[in-house]
Amino acid sequence: MIPVRLPHARLLMAGLPALVLVFLAGCSCSTQTTWPEEDITEEELAHYAANPDFFVYKTIDDLPADLPWTRNDHLPEIGSPKAIRGGTYRARIQDFPRTLRLYGPDSNSSFRPFLLDDIAIRLGHLHPNNPGDHEYYPGLALEWAPDPDTRTVYIRLDPKARWSDGKPVTTEDFFFMFFMFQSPHIRAPWYNNYYGVGVTYDRIIHYDERTFAITMAQLRPDFVGRVLNLVPLPRHFFRELGPDYVQRFNWRFAPTTGAYILTPEELERSRRNRGRITFVRQEDWWANDKPNLRYRFNPDRIRIRVIRDTPKAFELFLAGEMDMFGMNQAEFNFDRLPDHHPLVERGLIHKATFYNDVPRPTWGLWINSARPHLDNNDVRIGINYAANWDLVIQQFFRGEFFRMQTTADGYGSMTHPGIRARPFDPNRAMEHFARAGFTRRGPDGILVNEAGQRLSFNLSTGSEALAGVLTILREEARKAGLDFRIEILDASSNWRKVQEKNHDIALSAFGVSVEMFPRYWETYHSSNAFDVPFLEDGVTPNPDRRPREQTNNLESIAIAELDALIERYDRSESLDEMRELAFKMEEILHEHASFVPGFYMPFFRTAYWRWVQWPDDFNVRFARDPVEMWLFWFDEEKHEETRGTRRGSETFPPSVRIFDHWAVPPREK
Amino acid sequence: MRLNPLTVKKIQRFRSIKRGYYSLLLVIGLLVFAAIAELFINNRALIVSYEGSWRFPTYGAMIPGTEFGLDYSHETNYRELREIFREEGAGNWVIMPIVPWSPVENAFRGESMIPRPPDFARRHFLGTDRENRDILSRLVYGFRNAMIFAFGFMFFVYLIGTTLGCLMGYFGGTFDLIVQRFIEIWSNVPFLYVVIIVASVVTPTLGILLAITVLFAWTGMTYYMRTNTLKEKARDYTAAAQVLGASTPRIIFLHILPNTIATLVTFMPFTMASAITAITALDFLGFGLPRPTPSWGEMLQQGTQTMVIAPWIVTSAFSAIVIVLILITFVGEAVREAFDPKKFTVYE
Repeated sequence: MIPVRLPHARLLMAGLPALVLVFLAGCSCSTQTTWPEEDITEEELAHYAANPDFFVYKTIDDLPADLPWTRNDHLPEIGSPKAIRGGTYRARIQDFPRTLRLYGPDSNSSFRPFLLDDIAIRLGHLHPNNPGDHEYYPGLALEWAPDPDTRTVYIRLDPKARWSDGKPVTTEDFFFMFFMFQSPHIRAPWYNNYYGVGVTYDRIIHYDERTFAITMAQLRPDFVGRVLNLVPLPRHFFRELGPDYVQRFNWRFAPTTGAYILTPEELERSRRNRGRITFVRQEDWWANDKPNLRYRFNPDRIRIRVIRDTPKAFELFLAGEMDMFGMNQAEFNFDRLPDHHPLVERGLIHKATFYNDVPRPTWGLWINSARPHLDNNDVRIGINYAANWDLVIQQFFRGEFFRMQTTADGYGSMTHPGIRARPFDPNRAMEHFARAGFTRRGPDGILVNEAGQRLSFNLSTGSEALAGVLTILREEARKAGLDFRIEILDASSNWRKVQEKNHDIALSAFGVSVEMFPRYWETYHSSNAFDVPFLEDGVTPNPDRRPREQTNNLESIAIAELDALIERYDRSESLDEMRELAFKMEEILHEHASFVPGFYMPFFRTAYWRWVQWPDDFNVRFARDPVEMWLFWFDEEKHEETRGTRRGSETFPPSVRIFDHWAVPPREK
Repeated sequence: MRLNPLTVKKIQRFRSIKRGYYSLLLVIGLLVFAAIAELFINNRALIVSYEGSWRFPTYGAMIPGTEFGLDYSHETNYRELREIFREEGAGNWVIMPIVPWSPVENAFRGESMIPRPPDFARRHFLGTDRENRDILSRLVYGFRNAMIFAFGFMFFVYLIGTTLGCLMGYFGGTFDLIVQRFIEIWSNVPFLYVVIIVASVVTPTLGILLAITVLFAWTGMTYYMRTNTLKEKARDYTAAAQVLGASTPRIIFLHILPNTIATLVTFMPFTMASAITAITALDFLGFGLPRPTPSWGEMLQQGTQTMVIAPWIVTSAFSAIVIVLILITFVGEAVREAFDPKKFTVYE
């Protein structure tokens, strides 16, 4: 037996390294893998059948007559008729994307805007110049009809609306969207909850291929927008949806309603070298002639390079290898590419500053009021007075940013007009610290209380770029006898720390989207602060409560009165009532003083090569960065003309412009 | 104290190697300067004469502004005080150090945070960094921190390494075998990852950093001490001591250790150099001392980012590191040469 087996054994031994190689290669390249057959149709239909009140089938004859159909034709069009299609937009990302999925783990990255946020066409889009009050222009919808009495929005899809693989967009795709968002397979709890049965949406009604209606769970002032903001999912593409969704669809480019696609060859190429990804514009995009979309998405290609280092990316921009570069940081605008830089003076690179009018990210100090000493209101108020934000703005942001005043700045009439953040005043800070028992200065100048405890807190941030802010705050706070121990962690560790509520004070911000009114529940409701915030009477704080992790209530705020207001606010159907409630909540939060409002950037600034063209008014009111709305285009003639002149002496008319037609002045002190 | 004639010979030989000898003097000079740097580089005044009485604020508790008739209770700004006294002309005066800036101080309060080139009138002899702090001041205090780290590092590495190495060599057998295997495993733990993990959980202090680096650095020393002890243990004097009934610690630390001291001494300067490199590298990578502690690595890191707009930052930090490392290496080479037994070997 042995002589017979030996050759086999040898073969096996020789084959082993080869096997290992094949295995390794297989790991790095999952597109080659064959996946087991899957078909979700049965599960999908069963889900519809199991939720007959959510997924409703009717006939077109059931559609109510005389609905107030609208297309909001009166809205002025976005974009410039002068725009020309063509050219390659050369952009940059910091890391190669970890997935092409739009949902599920790792999908919410800086790459997703190219796939979804800025590119995909929704049912309708918020008009970004906001001529009325949060009005929408049609995208996939041909027209729509809101019916507040039944909390329902009726939709007629544009017959031209197509997926990028040529299939029409139909009502089925919206049914499927709800099914997929409710499915555990996508491993996205937020979607599971938000799109869950009866949470935000109550019902979707099928009338025919292109007509449907969606009923909201509550009649909120923005209920039309909540429906029009929906993006369908291509039902035919997700046939193979299943428990392995995360792996199976990781590198599949889903058909899109937007203009740009990733071809299979290009995907293969970019996954091999991981250095760049190129999107191509569809020649016959369905919305090529649709108002509000026709003068946008102009470049023929988007070539995104992976460049980790910002200084390196900047050098590539100066070398003409990138079309634009964000100049929000003062250092870039004033030191690295000042207005007297030869490339700017010679008119090769233009600069523009655009003042926008959007809800502002909440930069400031988030005080964890569950920590020792920080649970004392006087200590928190003292910290407010001891934070010298004006000096930070003056020194670190070179006087260009504005002081934040409330926890929700930039919401127009929904922002409290009267509240002012507390100014830097060491004497008043010390008065409050004294009330909390910190009466005398120790040998190092820091206040101590009777028990000998120093007034010292950890101040952490996840942003290395903001280290200078902390340096200033720390030095100034010492004047009021307050010590900050600065902690600069990497972004993810810091995030984990604040999510576990292990921070004293964090310099941080929540990104906010352009919405009609601010949100309070996530950040300020007691159920997001503690497991059992109150005793049975509902008011007295529970002495044994434990902090609730993984929520946005970073200040550990639990105030029964505030909870009641938040609950009323979240149920309210009237914007006026909501405004009144929001103001009342802001006043409570101001008194609680656990958020030290910091700064906001009232503009964005960009430098671009002269061949990049913009509409006459440059951008739109709600834009948060210059590219978001895809309004720019390329002038190929100018590109040719400019090529190779960087090292020469040719000059062109220089252009350093400021667009402040949407500027909101800072509120006076 | 009478020195061993061999030691005297070695010292003489060291002194005769001029490059190393003068380097040592320079390093000692720098150390002394760094130890009393507050007298030369500081934002606290050397002497304040206020209404007839003299105050020496350099060392000790902070003096609130109210003590000099100012309207604030935080630490006195002595540069401003000097100007105020001058204007008043009431016979009060302030003597400031040569460089009147502390290493963590915002030198241009209210002005933009940009690196500024050397400015002799304002006594920024090497300019300021991108957070408006005096570079010379940060260099000197950064040197002090690096040296404290280096000496601490050396002390603990040698303490653990020598003790364990000697014990391994002296006892041999199973003990030796087990500890050696342990060391082999231990030295394969990736040190940098441990630092990164720790730094992501807590803000490292000098003590924590020292503990981590020592934890992974002591193993190297054990090998040398083990071989040396093995060698010495076989000598007759050890046997004699054993026969006389000397205790084990006495034999190891009083008889064997002094005979292996040459190895220790020759390694010292190189250990110091590697300690300085280590702390600088950690700071450079952002896993080092907490801000705003002055540190060379942090300065180097700033320098690489601002190479184009502020070359003086990277120049200062880089030169300082190179000079100090070269000096220490010179010392190390000279020590090694002085202790080299080959000098006394005659080949036939």
